Amino acid sequence: MAELKMAPFDAANIPGPKMGRVTAPVVLGKMIKRAKRPLLICGSEISEDGMIDKAIEIGKKGIPIAATGNAINSFMKKGYTDNVKYFSLHELTNCMRDPEWKGLDGNGNYDTAIYLGTLYYYASGLMSALKNFAPHVTVLSIDRYYHPNAVMTFGDIWRKPEDYQSMLDEVIAQI
Amino acid sequence: MEKIKAGIFDIEGLENVKIEIKEMMGEKIPEEEWAPMGPTPMPKIADLREWDRVLLKRYPPFYAPQCDVCALCTMGKCDLTGNKRGACGLSLEAMQGRIVLLACLVGASAHAAHGRHMLHDIEHMKGDLSKIPIDFGTEINVEAPLTRLITGIKPKTVADLKEVFTYIEENIVQLGDALHTGQEGSALDFESKAYQMGMLDSLGKEAADIAQMAAFNFPVGPGRPLLDVGMGTLDTNKAVIFVIGHNAPPATNICDYVIDHNLEDEVDIGGACCTAIDSSRYSTIVKLACSLGRQLRVIRAGLADCIVVDEQCIRADLLYQAQKVGTPVIFANDKKMHDMEIRDGDDPGEIVKDLVSGNVPGVVLLDPLNVGEVAVKVAQQMKPIRRKKGWTLSDEEFKKQVEACTNCGNCTVACPNGIRIGDAHKLAAEGDISLLASQFDICIGCGRCEQVCPQNIPIISTMIKAAWPLIQAEKGKIRQARGPIFDTEIRNVGAPLVLGTIPGIIAPIGCGNYPNGTKDVYTIAKEFGDRGYIVCLTGCMLIDTGLYRDEEGKTIFETHPDVFDRGGIINIGSCVSNAHIHDAAIKVANIFAQRNIRGNYEEIADYILNRVGACGVAWGAMSQKAASIATGFNRLGVPAVVGPHGVKYRRAFMGRKDREEDWYVYDARNGEKVYVGPVPEHSIIAAETIEECLPLMAKLCMRAADTPAGRSIKLTHYMDLNKKYLGAYPDDWTVFVRGETDLPMAKKAEFMQMLESDHGWKIDWKAKKILEGPTVKYDPSFDPTNLARLIKHKKE
Repeated sequence: MAELKMAPFDAANIPGPKMGRVTAPVVLGKMIKRAKRPLLICGSEISEDGMIDKAIEIGKKGIPIAATGNAINSFMKKGYTDNVKYFSLHELTNCMRDPEWKGLDGNGNYDTAIYLGTLYYYASGLMSALKNFAPHVTVLSIDRYYHPNAVMTFGDIWRKPEDYQSMLDEVIAQI
Repeated sequence: MEKIKAGIFDIEGLENVKIEIKEMMGEKIPEEEWAPMGPTPMPKIADLREWDRVLLKRYPPFYAPQCDVCALCTMGKCDLTGNKRGACGLSLEAMQGRIVLLACLVGASAHAAHGRHMLHDIEHMKGDLSKIPIDFGTEINVEAPLTRLITGIKPKTVADLKEVFTYIEENIVQLGDALHTGQEGSALDFESKAYQMGMLDSLGKEAADIAQMAAFNFPVGPGRPLLDVGMGTLDTNKAVIFVIGHNAPPATNICDYVIDHNLEDEVDIGGACCTAIDSSRYSTIVKLACSLGRQLRVIRAGLADCIVVDEQCIRADLLYQAQKVGTPVIFANDKKMHDMEIRDGDDPGEIVKDLVSGNVPGVVLLDPLNVGEVAVKVAQQMKPIRRKKGWTLSDEEFKKQVEACTNCGNCTVACPNGIRIGDAHKLAAEGDISLLASQFDICIGCGRCEQVCPQNIPIISTMIKAAWPLIQAEKGKIRQARGPIFDTEIRNVGAPLVLGTIPGIIAPIGCGNYPNGTKDVYTIAKEFGDRGYIVCLTGCMLIDTGLYRDEEGKTIFETHPDVFDRGGIINIGSCVSNAHIHDAAIKVANIFAQRNIRGNYEEIADYILNRVGACGVAWGAMSQKAASIATGFNRLGVPAVVGPHGVKYRRAFMGRKDREEDWYVYDARNGEKVYVGPVPEHSIIAAETIEECLPLMAKLCMRAADTPAGRSIKLTHYMDLNKKYLGAYPDDWTVFVRGETDLPMAKKAEFMQMLESDHGWKIDWKAKKILEGPTVKYDPSFDPTNLARLIKHKKE
């Protein structure tokens, strides 16, 4: 696969000197595997490009899922709600800023937030809040877009849904 | 009226003489004592800071930076990533507060300057401002609630508003000073200043609207006629004048000219944004062609024979775009002149000749009284010239353009909504235009796509071509704006609003930067109107709401009453008119609860926060004005939801329901601190989708003072909307239950069962009572306040 570009989905979304590193799926998968308290955040585009099935696969590996926007409806349609909870992403990000937050399950805040199927500009702004004000959370993106406010992110792959799905499979294989 | 000449007069025996003395020997005469003056008339920056701290403790600012650097002074650029401090010492967090204050300054300035500008125009068009009474009839005694509340002034004539604007202008300058390098350093104090700016914004809006209402005799109250709305209502069999902006006096002059010369059958006036709304209050011949999101499409569709612009929210490339379709432009405001020549004083015939011949693409006419004749004559003369040519793409040209698309994706990456235009072009090239046509509504009409297209495809035009049948069929209805709420209406709804049996006031306001098209705004208004909320619409959201019809072909303005009462859906007016929504909440405190509002901001905001269930929604919030409007609502105790693009404002005020300590208030009867639960939970928050927005708004209408009947109704809607749009009851519903009487009536047994089995609450099934579980207690005499000074008797 050709090297993916650091090209934000909104062309002008260049936040500053610290920009997300385009990272290979295997490495992102290992990062997720290594996390002590990971949280998969699925947004309102989760039903596109087969992402919902990949999210469920990740959920089945024991990673809790926050379904934001209307994403919970996609999980319900698929009949998978085991470890999925609806949460507003704005509210969730506000809580995650606080190291003392108890989390969705009452067991504490998360050390790693993984984004999938998000509304790009909305998620990007909120990743920026974590990047700048929540050093206790590592932001990873396995979305189909390059996310400059994540620490590690896929490159720009939204035009190639099949390649993207293969990349997600590589991530899942590591978890 | 006869003027008395200088000299000595004997006035004995004169009948019906009214003497009003405002100044005596240069000294101002004190205003009549119409109400005791409260503690904070004309508050300065620090005067309401303690109230701000109450709000900021419960709703601390949440920042989502759009940019991690600062480049405002020459010590920069400074990298502030990770909340570092710049060369001046300012942290990234405080920098966000600074940007928010700047946005609010721009917004408040726009409204206040618009108001001040209008005073000048009114004086020029109508004469002495002191001769224009502020009197909106017998149904409105509290004519200017925000003005009374903030300044302590009870304005009697439009001239009295000068003092109001002077107060606003001084404060804006003082607050602008705080933005300079080396001034404010605290994010919280930046936010307190943003609150101050938001409050000034609300005041400027009110003063602007009551000035134009008084000067131009805008109609007031319910029962207004239906008006045409939509791009399809523009009649190109006539000469079409397209007015855009916010400052209506030039458009009123166009109306006058058309009516005075009996040209209604020959000239069509359509408008975009608030100039359309306000000029339609002046004359119902004005059609509301579109919200601001479609102004470029109206222009590029070639629908206008003459464009007249005043101020705010008008495309900065207007002249360039208008030239593409051969439409002359008249700039009627000095804030927007686009390098055109000022032609006031020239012979109108010469100006018309220059514009029609194309000698100049546009002119500036700063005197609104000069605009009507020129605009009408230009439109009339341009019509036959422009009709010789089609301005939408021909079938052949459309085919050629969509076939040229390589689906490179540049347009999608440039698009604020990430629309997959290339996919739609590809389908169109194969003969299926349906996807491209459907994208017309999701497109916000910014035109960024065209600039990055390597094939130079005029994408705005390909979309217009594909959607042309939809555009022609776009013919909706809205009611003419009715302005302020009657005092009598407040008397009728005050109790049910405060008790909660009318579940809330929903205020859709603001711009057209929607995430997924215009239909969502209709859904918001219809959903809440159907549920018995009072829906008060203003601005661009108002216009877009009128575009849709139900199965019977009726718009919501035809199916819902034009009253400020249960289930009413009403057109309050333009951006500046949304001050009347603040006013309604203030009047509930004043008229229903008999609170003195004069110079008494803090107490009234506290009252509204704890008692008046209201929630604003700016689903397509785009402008700096939307930022200052929302911030003004927030300081007054009214929460707001913005669409997902609203996250780009950088700041939200969100509460944390898991932090119990944040949700205590005083019981004013005895000073006891009482836990009231997270109501309202947030002050401003961005929702990601419409499905998230609707239940969230219902939740934000809950208040500490809700009666059990009221809480039960509010909770019913919150839970029902969650189930309808998010597939299940919300996880947090139990925190709003204070006892069995708060439970939704229709499903009480089901919910009691859930409380017992899922949440471990103890239920006495025989008595159908909750024995143990709720964390919030309800006391019918409870008098909630966040202000220690309002405690009547301290508990020993």
